[in-house]
Amino acid sequence: MRFVDEFRDAELGQVLAGEILSVVEPGRHYKIMEVCGGHTHSIYKYGIDDLLPANVELVHGPGCPVCVIPMGRVDDGIAVAHEPGVIFTCFGDMLRIPGSDGTLLDAKAEGADVRMVYSPLDALRIARENPDRQVVFFAIGFETTAPSTALTLKRAKAEGLENFSCMCSHVTIVPPLRALMESPDMRLDGFIGPGHVATVVGARPFEFIPASYGKPVVVSGFEPLDVLQSIHMILTQLAEGRCEVENQYRRVVPYDGNLKALEVLAEVFELRPHFEWRGLGFISQSALELSAAYADFDAEQRFPVPGVRVADPKACQCGEVLKGVIKPWECKVFGTACTPERPIGTCMVSPEGACAAYYNYGRFARERELV
Amino acid sequence: MTSSGALVPQCHPEIGCITCGDEGVAMRVLKLDASRALAVCVDGAGSTSEVDLGLVAGVAPGDELLVHAGVALARLEPEAPA
Repeated sequence: MRFVDEFRDAELGQVLAGEILSVVEPGRHYKIMEVCGGHTHSIYKYGIDDLLPANVELVHGPGCPVCVIPMGRVDDGIAVAHEPGVIFTCFGDMLRIPGSDGTLLDAKAEGADVRMVYSPLDALRIARENPDRQVVFFAIGFETTAPSTALTLKRAKAEGLENFSCMCSHVTIVPPLRALMESPDMRLDGFIGPGHVATVVGARPFEFIPASYGKPVVVSGFEPLDVLQSIHMILTQLAEGRCEVENQYRRVVPYDGNLKALEVLAEVFELRPHFEWRGLGFISQSALELSAAYADFDAEQRFPVPGVRVADPKACQCGEVLKGVIKPWECKVFGTACTPERPIGTCMVSPEGACAAYYNYGRFARERELV
Repeated sequence: MTSSGALVPQCHPEIGCITCGDEGVAMRVLKLDASRALAVCVDGAGSTSEVDLGLVAGVAPGDELLVHAGVALARLEPEAPA
């Protein structure tokens, strides 16, 4: 398929690997964070890290929207799913995220009507087909996914659908990045910017990273050559003493984003004063809630929601993994008590989660990290 | 990618996390339903699905789109790799 195959060319990959080698300074250790879980997944799927010199280290960031959902929020979803007459819809990944007392999949087994959807528009269709039931969509995701929820709510409002509502847990990418930059244990040289979030918000919102923290950012696509080229661009900036936002993913990302999408987001959502991120704690203005114009579609107003904060399991070190402080295999329960089949932490649930990416692609070997 | 109704999580290591956060899929437009701002699109694996065109203007059959969670986010523009 166009836009895919040509970005998976192995020979070009080798050429890029050679160019990367030519720009790294021997003896210097480079730490580059891929912000987005989609990049983490690509890196292990295509073995991109094996093409890099040993002194270029990739650090996994907080950009998996499933991994950052705290347990209390899952409990809230399960409570709504158990409400009489409710059809609770969500993306597949959310079904297996552990709350304090089980998952949405467990709730389904206990009799709650929980259904997986690929799009909030599917949830809307379920609402049309079941006028005597209340259909709730558990909305998660960064700015990539939020427009889909926003368009769905606009359609629901236009159609006057009274049996559809949304439990909004959308998050935004810039506040957690800013929190990471302020973290004293972070020592990073550059960032692979999240390409699909940038499709919506553009590359411009990441300008604070070079401006305030002096680190290069390259907004990147997700095919193996995209990621390799982005790493090369970051290392070239470092070699030349430059520090700016560059856009490797120009075939998709306009520098200013999708203005229509931003307009729709501004109409349907507003910023929550604060939101809890798994492993990162409460971050101000880092998540979205429905605006006053769409308050009638807010599931949290329509149904009782416990809203109880639950501490993460003690054994789980998702927080450190999300901040890139430790590698997944350094977590005490990685691959033993915590596996994709029986995850303890969220990073093991979604394939975009760093732990699952390591586990699924057999990255138990630590040789590379020990080089 | 219409749900079959079966409760099988589709997050698979080979496919990636299709339902969640940041995964976009390249799809080609087969047929337009301009009055409802919808299109039938096909992905690289040959599966078709209905896509909302509310965020991308001037879409025509044959166009390649970046689709996420049932919504087209961008039209893909030709550009040579590296």
